[in-house]
Amino acid sequence: MGTLGVLAAIFWKGIKHYTRYPGSLVIYLMLPFLFTLLIFGMGRFVGGGNAALNFATRTGTSNVLVYEMLGGAVWMTGWVVVEDVGVALRDEQMKGTLEQNFLAPVNRFTLLVGISLTDIAITTAIFLIVVGVTLALTLPGAYLAFFQAFLMLLIGLIPLFGIGFLFSGFVIKFKEPYIFTQMVNLIFGTLTGTYYPVTILPYWVQFLSAVLPQTYVISNMRQIVLANRTLVSLYGSIFILLALALVYPTIGYLVFKKLEKDASVTGELSKY
Amino acid sequence: MLPVNFPSIESFTRLGEEFKAAFMKDLRSYIRYPAWLVGDLVSTPLWFFFFAVGVTLFAPTTQTSVYHGYSFFFFGFIFIVLFSTTIWGTGQSVRNEQMAGTLEQFFLAPSNRLTLILGRWMRIFITDILVIGYTTVLLYVFGGGPLSLYEPALFVFALALYEVGSIGFGLFFAGLTMKLKSYNTLSNLVFFGYMILTGALFPVTVIPMPFRYVSLAIPFTYFIDLMRHAALLTPTILPMGFEYASAILLSFIMLLVGFVTFNWIEQDARMRGSIATS
Repeated sequence: MGTLGVLAAIFWKGIKHYTRYPGSLVIYLMLPFLFTLLIFGMGRFVGGGNAALNFATRTGTSNVLVYEMLGGAVWMTGWVVVEDVGVALRDEQMKGTLEQNFLAPVNRFTLLVGISLTDIAITTAIFLIVVGVTLALTLPGAYLAFFQAFLMLLIGLIPLFGIGFLFSGFVIKFKEPYIFTQMVNLIFGTLTGTYYPVTILPYWVQFLSAVLPQTYVISNMRQIVLANRTLVSLYGSIFILLALALVYPTIGYLVFKKLEKDASVTGELSKY
Repeated sequence: MLPVNFPSIESFTRLGEEFKAAFMKDLRSYIRYPAWLVGDLVSTPLWFFFFAVGVTLFAPTTQTSVYHGYSFFFFGFIFIVLFSTTIWGTGQSVRNEQMAGTLEQFFLAPSNRLTLILGRWMRIFITDILVIGYTTVLLYVFGGGPLSLYEPALFVFALALYEVGSIGFGLFFAGLTMKLKSYNTLSNLVFFGYMILTGALFPVTVIPMPFRYVSLAIPFTYFIDLMRHAALLTPTILPMGFEYASAILLSFIMLLVGFVTFNWIEQDARMRGSIATS
């Protein structure tokens, strides 16, 4: 079986898992709506009749739903990648199948990319459904903006997978992935401006936001959909994203290989 | 379910010992994985910060009652932490044993099934209180302001009603884990339903009218309303005396329904042989 065959096998394995247990996909699809509803309900309580006006003053748009849903959808894509790529190998550990996978004549990088391919399909589905429904309801003619926002997501996924590789190494080494991924997802949600512009965060926190790809993806999507900007006009942040797309997968894979090698020496690969 | 000579002193002593053993077992598991404690200590204040910053966008630029608003949301977070105990603590206790493959051993032991669940509930309740206390101090240090608690005794009473009701709800959920194996989807949906509909984070008056009826049909709405009334002197949904009477009745009904449902589902699962299917 060639590399493409291996990638296809890993991809279909992931897709079968999602179709066999559709509950997790349903949750990923619903969470952006539920979080937005929560924030909006709390905002209505705090701002009263002027809540939307106060929001517009601070964000430059009165379209609360689209603003929040774009952030929520990107947050969920990051959530999927961290949960799947980061935890996938731990799941194999728990099932006792990690050694079989690692003993197969398959490059580790191919293994990680295969898992990532499944996630490209899943995150695409989440984006198309969550953002598609939101735009269809609120900005029905915004096809071009929707398409550009989707391209933005695809560019942002590359560095995100690099972060996923990094976590999969940590998880093999330190076990206990669920608390770890929960914290990381929450930190990502907080730092990347999921439900607010990062400019309202303290200056030192904004520095941390600047090294996370989702920050640029969310901000650019809002610019494209709500401020009629084009991808070309946002070339500065796209250039940064492309640089992150080079840095994160490289660091992520190197760290993964190092931690995997350490674990194979100490015999920790299949330990509970 | 209960010991043969119930209610004798011996049976109570034995229940107490079983409860202690279940509590210690869960505490040991928790301490063995320090990542859980670190996760609790980091996640709880971070969730608060995450929502608080999001909500700031809607706030007027000239806020006059900052501390009251802060207390309102902070108590909302306490209600959320308490409910997460119900869902992922009490409710998931049976599922955890199922996944570890130890549920049959536990059910075959000559001990009360409920002690497993209540022992876990107690451990999580204690760690919740510690995490809430730590978060209160942390947010105070970072300028969150002091918390208001006008009627501490009434607050504790309302909290006790909440906990009695939540144990019943947790038992019901623990039973469901023997029926439904895709527990996480349901628990997440129920958790969000609770956050949005019970007035935990904003008053039920904010909820549009047809949906507000759903809120008013949920017992947790009244437990939360009474706790917030005791803490911040906010007006109650129903006349106060009537709301207290309703809450007392609802909490015990929930406990009874949870207990009966758990027993019924367990019996059914035994007959079907589905107790330990993971």
